[in-house]
Amino acid sequence: MMASLFIVSKDIPQWLAAMAKTRKVFATQRESGAIIFKPYDPGREVVFERESVTSCKEAVFPQTKVLFSYFVKKNPETGETAGVAIEESLNKPAPQAVVFGTRPCGTKGFLTFDRVFDCDRIRDPYYTSLRERTAFITLACDRPGATCFCHWVGGAPDDPKGSDALLTPVEGGFLVEAVTEKGEELVNEARSLFAEADEKRREEGAAVRDKAKGMLTPKPDLTDIGPALEKRFRDLDFWEDMTAACVSCNMCTYLCPTCYCFNITDESDGQAGVRLRTWDACMSQQYSLEASGHNPRPTRAHRMRNRVNHKFWYHPKEYGGVISCCGCGRCVKHCPGSVDIRRILLTALERKDEDAE
Amino acid sequence: MKTPNNPYAPKLARIVETEMENATVKTFRVVFEDQAYMQSFSFKPGQVGQLTAFGAGEATFVINSPPTRMDYLQFSVMRAGEVTTALHMLKEGDLVGVRAPLGNAFPVEDMKGKNVVLIAGGIGMAPLRTLLLYMLDNRADYGDILLIYGTRSPDDFCYKADMAEWGARDDMKVVETVDSACTLWTKCVGLVPNVLLDEKPSPGNAVAVTCGPPIMIRFTLEALGKLGFTDEQIITTLERRMKCGMGLCGRCNIGEKYVCVDGPVFTMAELRELPPEL
Amino acid sequence: MSQLTELKEAIRKALPDLDLVLGWREGYDALHAPPYHIRRQEDLEHLVFGPMCVNNLASQLMHLRGKKVGIIVKGCDARSVVELLQEKIVNRESLVIFAMPCKGVLDVKKIRRALDIDHAREVHFHNGTIEITSGDKTSSVELKDVLADKCLRCHYPNATEYDHFIGEPVEPRVSAEEAAADPAMEELAGMDLTERFAFWKTHMNRCLRCYACRNSCPLCFCRDVCLADSRDPHWQSQETSVREKWMFQMIHAMHLAGRCTQCGECERACPVGIPILLLKKHLNAVVKDLFNYEAGIDPTATPPLFTFKVEEENIKEIEL
Repeated sequence: MMASLFIVSKDIPQWLAAMAKTRKVFATQRESGAIIFKPYDPGREVVFERESVTSCKEAVFPQTKVLFSYFVKKNPETGETAGVAIEESLNKPAPQAVVFGTRPCGTKGFLTFDRVFDCDRIRDPYYTSLRERTAFITLACDRPGATCFCHWVGGAPDDPKGSDALLTPVEGGFLVEAVTEKGEELVNEARSLFAEADEKRREEGAAVRDKAKGMLTPKPDLTDIGPALEKRFRDLDFWEDMTAACVSCNMCTYLCPTCYCFNITDESDGQAGVRLRTWDACMSQQYSLEASGHNPRPTRAHRMRNRVNHKFWYHPKEYGGVISCCGCGRCVKHCPGSVDIRRILLTALERKDEDAE
Repeated sequence: MKTPNNPYAPKLARIVETEMENATVKTFRVVFEDQAYMQSFSFKPGQVGQLTAFGAGEATFVINSPPTRMDYLQFSVMRAGEVTTALHMLKEGDLVGVRAPLGNAFPVEDMKGKNVVLIAGGIGMAPLRTLLLYMLDNRADYGDILLIYGTRSPDDFCYKADMAEWGARDDMKVVETVDSACTLWTKCVGLVPNVLLDEKPSPGNAVAVTCGPPIMIRFTLEALGKLGFTDEQIITTLERRMKCGMGLCGRCNIGEKYVCVDGPVFTMAELRELPPEL
Repeated sequence: MSQLTELKEAIRKALPDLDLVLGWREGYDALHAPPYHIRRQEDLEHLVFGPMCVNNLASQLMHLRGKKVGIIVKGCDARSVVELLQEKIVNRESLVIFAMPCKGVLDVKKIRRALDIDHAREVHFHNGTIEITSGDKTSSVELKDVLADKCLRCHYPNATEYDHFIGEPVEPRVSAEEAAADPAMEELAGMDLTERFAFWKTHMNRCLRCYACRNSCPLCFCRDVCLADSRDPHWQSQETSVREKWMFQMIHAMHLAGRCTQCGECERACPVGIPILLLKKHLNAVVKDLFNYEAGIDPTATPPLFTFKVEEENIKEIEL
């Protein structure tokens, strides 16, 4: 890690402007009362005091991605298909991008994507092309809230994993530490905006981080969560109780920084069309509905079981024990029924020795 | 322009022949436009492919011609939704997109030297067709072959020409059955699991392979158990809603396994290791 | 006896004849009370009631058809139940209604904004104020500043249809005329077409198509066969464009014209703060003008769009 630097709050827009010259910049901004993650608009203020409702996965895994467009050429005489011209969207390279000011928990979400979309088995060119071009300047969290549980799943309010640079809020500005060479580059491009952080500032930064860690509530031991969930698999009463407040909407999965399920559909207009990859949600009934009408996950209880199991049992089983939840708490905080995934985990753990009837 | 190894990009293939199997199932024989690709294309019996009807989208079907007969690739499409309806509109000479092969295959090597019982219901015959034809093309490698194929009514059978040909062979046995008696039907009447119990194939040195609707599978597995088949001797091929065919999009999972990459072929012993969510 | 004790007592007696009772339980902090199912007597210990009980439990009735269900309702929730009865979606015989007179529920987003807090360890209600303890800090805010908008203009705080009425009815906060006067509606009405389009375009741009609005709506009962998800017929593209989002919201609103009881669950559920209730209010105002009808008031009334007259009094076809 490079030495700590300091930037005053009012210089942040200049830093963003410098980065925006050659890059697409995303940041947390306020729009009609909602705090959302979106392309940076210099006319808007960047919000630091709260995390965005939407996560930064949009930067590397956009909600809609055109995989390719096509045109079906017809023989005007016979009406037969003469040919199909396919134009892949990958031919237009994505611009360099910077994700600015997101919290460590949500930023880390793409590490789950890395495991799935860029592994020995497969390298997804649409994901990797965006991922390689994106840098993450993360803001250490100075006040974990009631829905936060990053520390349950191996995170921390100042976890630099996945980030290229880490900011810590201090009086009048931010301490800045580059974590990777990419981060260092982003700082050096606007080096005149930064001063060396003196010892007092560095101590203040350390105190801010320590205070945030101190605010975290005691965490449970999730070592046995996989087997505990396995024990509850056949216990549909358990899952029905746990989903009594669930309306089976797509919100938890769409806000989740690690949820990566997607749909592929064609949208056409006459002979021209596009193939889209769009976010999908395991909480929706259509997700696993088969053409025959059979649905292996017919109720919200079945679907929640799959969602929780995937994050805390299936994914760890497939990827060396790593839980695919980053503990950001968006699914708890914004759920219309306040369904709390932590309660599901704790109740399953509590009953881990109890067999389902 | 093409990105090398773009796993989402379909290859163009031309429909060289179509055939209506019954009221709702249409069979397509397709050949890749790129001749070199067609020549180098290989797959194993049981593997699936994604067929594109441009304008409607993609859906998953088993390649039901065997790798031993590479004049074309054959897919049978049951009309049920947006994509399958669009596919049914296509005719000889039209272009489709194909992404294949995807998924795993029947363990045809391990099955060598064994007696094979094939149990199919409805469109579930499609994956067993490729396996059966493969075995017939390598007939000396396999022991006795018994095929039990049931549908609701005589009109519902697919591959009627194949059935006639297989029925006439003396190196395999074919039992065709319909759910309930009807006029002009002189063959077997009864549900597949019951017919299986009547046929009493011996589990000794045998493998049973089954595919069909979930309810048939459930009772067929029970019947096989009664006959003494162990979980290791029972192979099934699963259907799940699929989109990407690469183990990414999520929906076809059973526990940590994805039907599109770890399947669609599983032994019962493998399925018992997974959460019961069929 | 407190209102909650009285409620628990009424449920305790009714429970043996019911499959479950829909209620609210304590949540992860004192500002949240998620819906839950009371099946056994011991489940009752978790039951809470107060201004944090924001969810309209009537949204669950559709899932529970065929069961014998008890439901706790606030005045506004009761209107959804009545509308469901009017539309014969639920059966009165299989429903036991516990009515709670209501003085208003909280808008958690307003509290977050007003007090800049993320956690409420303790919440106390005094006359007209709410005191919230977060961490070691206790702050106080006037209740009227953090109540849901719908409560500030509530004309129906008491259920009209019930089996058990718990406690004493409360006075409506405003008159029917005052309830109808809505500053947000007036602001929108004051815009010209271009401005109004720009207004909706900005808002709809944020929409995630998460369908929390649709799924939280007590009257949106197509659920799993919604046209927004249908591929055959193919009404909507999966693309996340303003056009598609706007299209869905318009259809959603049209399908609720004269049916929506303005419980506000759609808008509350929206994670990105889109004022979608405005669309429904507008259509309800049109229905009120044309048919002098308000949804979810009279269980025996037929909603105007469920029937027709050859000659409608207020629709002059010749002038259309």
